[in-house]
Amino acid sequence: MKKPRIGLVNRREMKGYLFLLPWLVGFVCFFAVPLVQSVWYSMHDVKVTANGLKLSWAGWENYRYIFQSDTVFIEQLSGFFADAILRLAVILVFSLVIAMMLNQPIRGKGVFRTLFFLPIIVVSGPVLERLVSEGATTVPLIETYGVNGIIEAVLPPMMARPLSGLFSQLILVLWYCGVPILIYMTGLQKIDGTIYEASMIDGANGWISFWKITLPALRPMILINGVYTLVFLATTGLNEVMATINDRMFRTGEQGGGYGIASAMAWVYAICLGIALLALMLLTKERKARQVAIQKSREQVELERLHAQRARGMKRRGGKRHGR
Amino acid sequence: MRKNRFNPSRFHMNQIPMYLVLVPLAVFMAVPIVFIINHAFKPIEELFAFPPRFLVEHPVLDNFTRLARQASAGGISISRYIFNSLIATVSVVLLSMVISSMAAFALSKLRLRAKGVLMEINNLAMMFVPIAVIIPRYLLVDGLGMINTYFAHILPLVAMPVGMFLVKQFTDQVPDSLIEAAVVDGASYFTVYRRIILPMIKPALATVAILAFQSVWNNTETSTMYTNKESMRTLTFYMNTLASTTNTVAGQGMAAASSLIMFLPNLILFILCQSRVMNTMAHSGIK
Repeated sequence: MKKPRIGLVNRREMKGYLFLLPWLVGFVCFFAVPLVQSVWYSMHDVKVTANGLKLSWAGWENYRYIFQSDTVFIEQLSGFFADAILRLAVILVFSLVIAMMLNQPIRGKGVFRTLFFLPIIVVSGPVLERLVSEGATTVPLIETYGVNGIIEAVLPPMMARPLSGLFSQLILVLWYCGVPILIYMTGLQKIDGTIYEASMIDGANGWISFWKITLPALRPMILINGVYTLVFLATTGLNEVMATINDRMFRTGEQGGGYGIASAMAWVYAICLGIALLALMLLTKERKARQVAIQKSREQVELERLHAQRARGMKRRGGKRHGR
Repeated sequence: MRKNRFNPSRFHMNQIPMYLVLVPLAVFMAVPIVFIINHAFKPIEELFAFPPRFLVEHPVLDNFTRLARQASAGGISISRYIFNSLIATVSVVLLSMVISSMAAFALSKLRLRAKGVLMEINNLAMMFVPIAVIIPRYLLVDGLGMINTYFAHILPLVAMPVGMFLVKQFTDQVPDSLIEAAVVDGASYFTVYRRIILPMIKPALATVAILAFQSVWNNTETSTMYTNKESMRTLTFYMNTLASTTNTVAGQGMAAASSLIMFLPNLILFILCQSRVMNTMAHSGIK
C-alpha cells in the first residue's frame, strides 16, 4: 500500500506511536502478556492452591494428553470445523443476498434494515442461551417432516451430520447474519452507480454485472465478514469446544484436566482457527496482475460475443434499435 | 435486480418477489424479541406448560413484583448495582471507541515499523479463546492492586481485538489522497484523525459501540473474578444470582423478568445507534 510520505520520518513516527500508545498498553497488559503466560502454563502441570499457583514442568505432556487420551476434545474440534465451514458459507451468501436486497429502492426499507440488524443484540449475551434451551431456535417443520432423516439416509454420515446440524439450527445461523449484512451494505453503498450504467450500455445484464462489478468490489468486505463470522462462531458461548475447555479448567489432575491442559487445548484450538483464517485470506486475496490480465481478456471476449449477439438481434428485427 | 435503478417503469413489479422473501425472513429475525417480551409476562403455569407456548395468554406482572421483593430483601440496594454497571458500561464503550480508532488510524495510515507485527498479534489475540487467559489476567489485576475497583471492570475490556480489527479494515479504505491533501494544507496528525478519519469510519465505530456495550453489559466475569465485595459487583451479576439462587420454580419466572430488564438497554442503544449507522453509511463520502 502506498503511504503519504511526509517530511521528517522519524519525528512523525514518534507521533504515530503516540496515537497507538493507549491501545498498546491495554492490549499488551490484558491480551499479549496473558497469551504468553498461557503458553508457559500449557507446558506445566498447574495446581491452584491458596498461596497462588503451583507449577511443575510437564513439557509436551499436556499436548500429548489432548491428542492421545482426552475422550472428546479432538472429536469436538473436527466437528466444529465441519460445522463452521458450512455455516460460514450459508451466512456469507445469505447476508450478501439480504444486503443487496436492502440496497434496492423498495418501500419500508428502514423497517427491514432495523429488523435484520436486531439479532446482533440477541446473539451475544445470556438471552441467547435461554432461547436455545427453550428450543426457540429450531424450526419445528424441519423436525416433523423428517428433513434430517432424508439427509442422513442419502448422504454419508461424515457430510450428513454437519448438514442436519445446520438445518436444525437454521434460525440461529440466520441470526448471526446481523453484522455481516451491515458490513456488506457499507460496501455496496460505496460502489459507484455509474459503473453499472456503463456496463449496461456495453450490454451486460444484471447477472454479469453482479459477478464482474459487485463481487470484486465487495472482496475486502467478504474477507472482513469471513474473519468476523469465523471468530464469532468460534468464541460464542454456545460452542462445544469452548464448553469443554472451560470444563477442563476446573477439574483436578485425576479426572483428566487442570489449567495446564485447558491452556494447551486453547492453543490447539487457536492454531487450528489460525490455519482456517489463513486459508480464508488466501481465498479472498486480490489476484495477481497476470491473472487479472487473463481475466480482462476473457471479459473482452465475452463483451465482443455480446456485441455480436446484439448486432445479430438488430439485424433480425430489420435494423430497429432496441437498446438505449 | 440492478435494472431497477434505470428502469422506473418496471420498479413496482420487481418489488413483489422481494417482499415475498424479505417479509418472512424479517418475521424470523423478530422472533427472539417477541419471545423475550412474552416470556417475562407469563404466569408460572404457562412458563412450565407442555408443549411450551410461544405467546403469553394471560399476561401478569407476577414475575416483576417477585423480582422487586427479592431485590429489596437483599443487603445492598439495587441502585448501587445499577450505578456500578453504568460506570463500567459508559467508560468501556467510550474508551474502546476512542482507543481503537486512534490505534487503527496509526496502524493503517501512518509510517510505523512494527505495524505488521502488531496487527498479526492482534489477529492472534482475536482468535484466542478468551476464557483461557482468565488466570493470567486475574494475577495481573491482582498484581496491579485493582481488585475491588472500577478499573477491574473497565480495563480488561477496553482493548477489544475484534473491534480493533473492524475499525482498522474500515480505516484502510479511507483514500490516502484525502489525507495527503489535508497534510499539504497544513493539518497535523490529530486534525487528520479528528476531521477526516473519524467522520469517515462512523459506521464502524457505531458497530464497535454496540459490540463493546454488549461485551461489558452482559459481562459477569469481571464481577466473579476481580471483585469479592458485594458493593462492587454489577447489575448483570446480581440479576444472574437472583435468578439462580432462589428456588427453581419461582426462579424461572424471575429469570424471565430479569432477562427482559437486562435486554431493554440493549434494544434502546441499538435503535439509537442503528439509525446513526444508516445515516452515516448513506452520506459518507467514501467512494
